[in-house]
Order: sequence, then structure tokens, then C-alpha cells
Amino acid sequence: MWKRLYDWIDQRVQLGGLMEFMGKKYVPIHAHSVWYYFGGVSLFLFIIQVVTGILLLLYYKGSEELAFESIQFIMSKVKFGWLIRSIHSWTANLFILTSMIHMFSVYFARAYRKPREITWVTGMLMFFLALAFGFSGYLLPWNELAFFATKVGTDIPGVIPVIGKPIMVFLRGGEDVTGATLSRFFGFHVAVFPAIFTVILGIHLLLVQRQGMSEPMNAEANPHTEKKTMPFFPNFLLRDLLLWLIVLNLLAVLAVFFPWELGQKADPFAPAPAGIKPEWYFLFMFQTLKYIPGKVLFLDGEILGVLLFGFAGLLWTLVPFWDRKSNRGERNRFVTYLGLFAVIYIMILTIIGWVA
Amino acid sequence: MTRVAGLLVVCTLMLTAAPKTWADDKCFSCHQSLGDRASELFPRDVHRLKGITCAGCHGGNAGIEDMEQAMSKAAGFLGVPKGDEISRACAKCHSSAERMKQYGSSLATGQLEQLQASVHGNLAASGKEHIAQCSTCHNAHGIASVKSAWSPVHPSQLVKTCTRCHANATLMRTYNPSLPVDQLEKYRTSVHGIRHSRGDAKVAECASCHGSHDIRTAKDVKSTVYPTNLPATCAACHSRADYMKEYRIPVDQFEKFSKSVHGVALLQKHDLAAPACNDCHGNHGAAPPGIASVSNVCGTCHALNADLFSASPHKKAFDERKLPECETCHGNHEIIVATNKLLGVASDAVCSRCHSETQNVKGYVVARSMRALIDSLEQGERQAVTLVEGAEQKGMEISEAKFKLRDARQARLEARTMIHSFSSERFEEVVGKGLNVASAVSVEAHEALDEYVFRRIGLGVATLVITVLVISLYLFIRRLERRS
Repeated sequence: MWKRLYDWIDQRVQLGGLMEFMGKKYVPIHAHSVWYYFGGVSLFLFIIQVVTGILLLLYYKGSEELAFESIQFIMSKVKFGWLIRSIHSWTANLFILTSMIHMFSVYFARAYRKPREITWVTGMLMFFLALAFGFSGYLLPWNELAFFATKVGTDIPGVIPVIGKPIMVFLRGGEDVTGATLSRFFGFHVAVFPAIFTVILGIHLLLVQRQGMSEPMNAEANPHTEKKTMPFFPNFLLRDLLLWLIVLNLLAVLAVFFPWELGQKADPFAPAPAGIKPEWYFLFMFQTLKYIPGKVLFLDGEILGVLLFGFAGLLWTLVPFWDRKSNRGERNRFVTYLGLFAVIYIMILTIIGWVA
Repeated sequence: MTRVAGLLVVCTLMLTAAPKTWADDKCFSCHQSLGDRASELFPRDVHRLKGITCAGCHGGNAGIEDMEQAMSKAAGFLGVPKGDEISRACAKCHSSAERMKQYGSSLATGQLEQLQASVHGNLAASGKEHIAQCSTCHNAHGIASVKSAWSPVHPSQLVKTCTRCHANATLMRTYNPSLPVDQLEKYRTSVHGIRHSRGDAKVAECASCHGSHDIRTAKDVKSTVYPTNLPATCAACHSRADYMKEYRIPVDQFEKFSKSVHGVALLQKHDLAAPACNDCHGNHGAAPPGIASVSNVCGTCHALNADLFSASPHKKAFDERKLPECETCHGNHEIIVATNKLLGVASDAVCSRCHSETQNVKGYVVARSMRALIDSLEQGERQAVTLVEGAEQKGMEISEAKFKLRDARQARLEARTMIHSFSSERFEEVVGKGLNVASAVSVEAHEALDEYVFRRIGLGVATLVITVLVISLYLFIRRLERRS
């Protein structure tokens, strides 16, 4: 029956070429092959986000008066609503975690080097979008913590001279975080960001398929040594699937044993609760801003922090263009040290922020 | 500067140029010959008795016969002090412990500071002086010791002195239009006022409760009549067994009140909605509420309970037996938190004082059934709370059921109020409402707890299925890779 179905489709869309391409696609096997799986896991988590997000959309109401109550309804009345919401929240966090691991593994393997510069840049854009997804989605339950975290979060770009205030007003839909901010974030979260993300993801996947997996630099340096590979289809794909199943099980365990809390409904007139913190993936930046003195030379400390992180993000995104040594196949220790510094810095500041 | 210099001259003259005998006080002898009011009052003035002459306050030289010289600026003559100058002239001595000691007085020396910090220390309507000066209450010439019966601030005279202003609607309107001016009228109807008019100087008058120099508005937390301070103010007399002995009334009211539900709320929790002594007894018209008016007094706050009681069969029975309504069951100063124990037919229940299996049987049956009903409501609510808390601790979203618990609590409170109707039907209706809510909440909480178990079983099944799939896939991959 499968054969007949394949023939039926093949006669109409000529699958032969695609199957031949897939048949010739190989994944290199080496000591660091394990890092290849994080791209696939991130993709799987994104798919889960899309599916669970659509299901939540069936009941969620994006207004100041109803947002909190609708989530409450999803959690208590909708069959398996608790599961969908908890999985969506947990997946959001795991998605950013696996994307980070994927990003750093690509960075340290220098997989961004020529000819994969565009793949790296699209990956970075997706990572920034993932952070934006996280930030906008955090407000949607309209609970106390989300409300004040958004207030603090949207205050930060507001400090940038000239363009800061208009950006803040644009993000909030006004001077303050209100129902207008919620509607705006809802729109970004379910329409604008997914649309942009899908396009970039398409380009990213197309490039990965077209260019294949990047090999480590030392493997390229010895073209005569025998290279071990594995067919992408079906071997690598089946291994991916195996890992996805384990991740799915992990998500179910997290959702059942640690259901995502809803908290108290936001009250704009209430004082901010003590210890307001952003989500863990913003903590290192939040903590850094705390350490920068109020005034550094002629610059406001907060402005300096925002500009520094903006510059660091830009430098990181453009690494394939300034790391010329790696492009030439030479070792670049500076890039390694910079990457190690970034990992250690993020980890330490996140831990301090978490414990504080 | 001129005034300060003038005062210094006055002080010096007063001490050095004071006449040795009254005949040497030329100011007084001259004014006496004129027959003016000041010289008429001055001979009995406490200051004159201590050797202070006219020059003590007015300056000048009382020893010189020549009027122009005696009342010249060079002699330090000040004239008649006006406005705040009056109090300053008094304070010259009364604020100096050393000076007061010279005259053998043990009076406190902080009166002026107290007066200026008091409500009377506010600026007068003219904007040029404080509202009250020393002479406003003590008079100017003929000032007598507070212990002297003809002093305007002697307990027997004080009410008249205060009401000179406080009963004057036109004057009081200038400062505080909302302040009543009928205090005296009410006072005359109070136990304090009645005794006072009979000449009893021991009973409370204005200063007993409001203080003297340091009088503050009743809204001021430092005021002796601020709600949280008032019980202690009343207790200053009413808790003193020796002082109250001749009146033959108990002196344990404050002790009882402090332990009562009202006292704990007011004195410990600082809940200003709780009653102080004056809320039940009145303030200026303070008197114990009579048997007929007890329910009206309590009913000012507990309106629903009072209405239900008035419409109940107990109203007639209590009236016939001349029993004070609320007080019979709840007490007066020592009212404790009303628990279910008060209701029913057990020995510690108040109903059993009048109702038994052989006496007033109908009430006995009603009390027994009411107690059983409210106990069942309380038990139902407790069970629902336990279940909701259990589900919440397990991480279940149960906020709606938790919210509904308020209705059960509300029904319990309503039921407690409804006890005062002493009607089984009405009571059952309210209790039934609460029992239904408690039962609905319990059902929801049970469902949440079942769901909790279901989730874990579901996770177990899903994990099993996924594990089987993972193992199968792993074996399949191994076979595939071995083949290739």
C-alpha cells in the first residue's frame, strides 16, 4: 500500500529527485557529533510550541479583563488544558536552553565559517526572536510577576537616548504597561514573531540541507584521512526521533510534577512585589545592570549597560565576518577565549541573579 | 529687642524695687482709690498673696508715687499686655523652675509649651495671636489657686469656664463649624453632670477627660479622648477602688473590657471601628444604658442582630422578665467572641439557663436543632477547606473552588446572625445555603485530587509507551546500522 501511495505522489510531484538528494546526504561522525542533535531538538521544541500555542489560542483571551481568567479556565476546566499550558511554558524555557547550547556548539566548532555565514546569521536572528517570544509570552497570563517584570523589562530600552522613549512607547502601546501592552504583546507573540520566525527557519533549514553538516576544522585540515559518516536519512533522522521522544517524556514529567504556576492576577495599582526578576535567560543582563555604577564617566550606567549588550550581541552575530582566521582554516584562540568568557559570564551572573 | 529689654527691666524691678509692705505698692493704692475692677479683684489674687505687685506683670516701678515716673518707659512700664504678650508675661515666672521655687511653688513649668502644642495653641481667627491665653481660663486679676473654689478652673467652676466658649455657637463656628456646642446640655443629663450640679467635685468634668493645658482634638492620636486612649482615660477614675468606693459601682470594667472582643480589637489591633467606652455610654452625656435601651446601644453597630431579636419571640419574654436584651446572653464589658458554645442545650450554653427538657421546652428543642445545624455547617466548611488546601498543595488549579469557600463562610456568618431570629425555618434556610456551597466545594476539591492521581497514572502510562517506542527505535537503528 505504501508503495502504491509513493508511486501515486511520485507520478505527480516527481519525488525521485528529492529521494536521490536525501539518499546522498551524509552526516559526519566524530567526537563532537553529539552537538548536531541540539539543532534538531530545538526544531522539535519549536514544533511543540506551535502546536500547543495553537491549542491555547482556542481558549485564551488577550485582554486585560479576561486574560488571567481565561488561563485559569484552561488550567482548571479545559480537558488537558493544564497539560498543554504547562508543556507550552516548559518548552519555551527548554527551547531557549537548547537553542543556546546549539548556538555555542556551532560557535566553538567554528561551524559559522565560510560558506555557512548566512546559516549562522539566520540562527542568531531566530535566537533573538526566541528571546522576544519568551518576553512577550511571559506577559500573556497577565499575572502579578509578569506585569511587573514587563514593566521593568520595557523600562530598560527606554533609557537609550533619542530612540529609547519611542521604542518604549511602541512596546507598551502607551506610557505605561496596560491592557494595550497585553494586546500588543499578544499580537507579536502569535502573529508577527511566528511569521518572521517561520521564514527565517525555512531559510536556515534549507541552507542546512543544501550545505550539509559542518565538519570540525581538524577533519577538514586532513582531507586524506578516512572520514566516518552516517546517512542522514534514515539513520540520523531516526536518532533525532529517538531523542525527541525522550525530550517529550521529559516535558510530560515536568508538566505533571512541576505544573507551571499562574500566581495572582496583575493589579496595576498594587505595589510591586519584592524580588521581581525576569526569566532566567535575561537574568545575566539584569544582574549586570545592577552592578554597573549609576554614572560611568559622562554616561548613565544603565545606558552604558544597554549599549554594551547591544554591541556584544552585534559582535556575536557578525563573528563569521570578523573571524578571518577560522575562514582560512587557522585556529583562532581569541574566538575560543571570547566564547568561554561569554559562557562562564552568563552562567555565573545567572546563578548570582537566581540566588539573590 | 525692645520688648525683651523691657521684660528684663521688669524682672529686675520686680525683684529689687518691690515694696516692702502693701502700702508701698503705689500702683495698687492709686488704682484702689479709683475703685477699678482690677484693684477690686487683686487683693485676693494668689500672686499678690505671694508678694507680687502690679509691676510684676505690667512693669514700671510700684515704689514711686509719681505716676509719670512710675509708669515711664525708663521704669520698664509695659502697659496692659495684649494677645500672646499675656501668656508670655505669665511664662516669665511659670516657665522658670528657679523663679517658681523662689515663691515656694511646686507647679509644673511646662504649661505654656503644652498650651501652645494643644488645640488651643492654634492661631486665632484674627491671625495675630493664639486662640487661648492663660487669662482666657484663669482670668487676669484675682487669679486663684486651682484648689480654690472660686478659681474658674476649680472642678466646680470649670464646666462654666469651658462652656463660655464651647457653648457659643457663633464663636465655635469660627474655628470648627462641625464641633457640637451642646456638650454642657448633654453633660447635665449625664451621671457625672447630675452629681456635679449637686456639688460633687470628684466626678468628671471637662479637664478630667480632656486634660488642661495640653488639650488635643479627639482625632489626634495623642489625645486622651482618642478612641484607643479613651478606655484608659475613663479607667483613671473608674478603676480606682478607693476613689470609686463611695459610688458603690464595680471598678473592674477596664480589666473586663481589655479582655473582651471589643477591647482586644480596639486596644491590641487598634481597630477604630471597635467601640470604646463612649460608644456605648455616650461621652458628654455618659450614663449606663438602661435595660430598655441596651439593644438600641448594641444595635447601632449590630443592627441586623438587633432587628432580628426585636422581631423574635424572645423580645416579649425578655421585656416581661425585665432582662437586658443583648447583655443577658453576651454580657456587657466582658463580651467574648461568640462561639457555637453559646448556642444549644449543653451546660455551658446560654440557652440552657432558661430552657430545659422540662422548662420552656419549645426553646430547648429549637436550641438543640440550631446547634446541630451550625455544627454541621462548620464541619462541612472545615472539610471543604482541608480538601481545597490539600489540592492546592498538590499544585492543582483550584482557585474557583477556593473563591466559593467565601460563600460558605458568609453563610456561616449569616447563620450566626440568624440565630437572633430564634426561628428554626429561617436558620435552616441559611445553613442549608452554606452546606450546599461547602458540599459543592468539596466535590470540586475531590475532583481535583482525583485528577492529581489521574495525571500521575497518565504520566506512568505515557512514559511506558514512550519507553517502549524508544527501545524499539533504538533496536531498529542498531539493526539498520549493523546491516549497512
